[in-house]
Amino acid sequence: MKESFNVKNLKNRIDRIEDILASVAAGDMEARIGSDIEDDFSGIEAAIDLLINDLTDELRERAKVQKELESRLSKIQEQQKTILQQQEDLLELSSPVSKVWDNILILPVIGTLDSQRTQVMMENLLQKIVDTGCTISILDITGVPTVDTQVANHLLKTVTAARLLGAECIISGISPAIAQTIVHLGIDLSAIRTKATLQDAMIYSMKQNKRSEEVKALANISFPNENEG
Amino acid sequence: MNQYEKRIPIIKIHDYLIVPIQVDMHDKQAIQLQSQILEEIARTRAKGVLIDISVLEMVDSFIGRMLSGMASMAAIMDTSVVIVGMQPAVAITLVELGLEMPGVDTALNMEKGMEMLERKLNTRKIDTY
Repeated sequence: MKESFNVKNLKNRIDRIEDILASVAAGDMEARIGSDIEDDFSGIEAAIDLLINDLTDELRERAKVQKELESRLSKIQEQQKTILQQQEDLLELSSPVSKVWDNILILPVIGTLDSQRTQVMMENLLQKIVDTGCTISILDITGVPTVDTQVANHLLKTVTAARLLGAECIISGISPAIAQTIVHLGIDLSAIRTKATLQDAMIYSMKQNKRSEEVKALANISFPNENEG
Repeated sequence: MNQYEKRIPIIKIHDYLIVPIQVDMHDKQAIQLQSQILEEIARTRAKGVLIDISVLEMVDSFIGRMLSGMASMAAIMDTSVVIVGMQPAVAITLVELGLEMPGVDTALNMEKGMEMLERKLNTRKIDTY
């Protein structure tokens, strides 16, 4: 049975709607009007309750999505960090300088060379030369597919810098493609000692070693008339 | 005389002169050192000069040119100059500056530099024998 409108009652009900809306706006998602009177106005109240329900669901959904996105973002950030770390490690690992024999260092280069990598390589090699006191170093570029002007220049610089330190730097394993590029680019490698393979470079370095030992032994032979006075 | 005018010692050992450069040189001082070394070569009749720059963190283009210039001047006076103990960073800087110092002998340390000079002088002796 529908009750007729009562103005005083209506005023109270509107006040209640306002209160409920205010508390919903303040964040209390449990608040409902829940009127038990049935009349023309109760339709509006029910509709408002329904809207509040929808809004609650919507907000819950949104919070869930946001949480998921946040977790994904942190995962991505972590991955990014790992990638950066690995890049750095790779750069370090990509230029291992090892001492293979008395007085001989080898730097095998594998993969494409860029300016940054050659720079790191150069620094590592020079530091290792100073640390170990080796006077011969072999730069093996068998594993390098191509070389451009800049990289060739960097290689030249590395060899020159090694010479300035007092060490000899040999480049080995220049592939036919690289030889062609270098000549086409007009880069002059004649000042640099190049060997066909790493083996040739090793043989050359060992011969150099032996020769310097022989010269040293020779130096111990005294030349009496020259050494006195 | 100012703070830069700290004297760099030139030490004579047997046939060699040893010049340990341990302070960052001022251009004027570099030129002074150059003529001092050449005079010492003439006075002591040294056969070789070892210039130790192992403590220098920085070598500018002027000093670089001075060093290579001195090597050629000494060569005319029949004396070999070996530059000893250059730091990697210095070598990189010089190469970047395009100062590749052709014709200058270099050695990793004093010992190797001395050996290098001995080798050179001995080959010379062997040639004359």
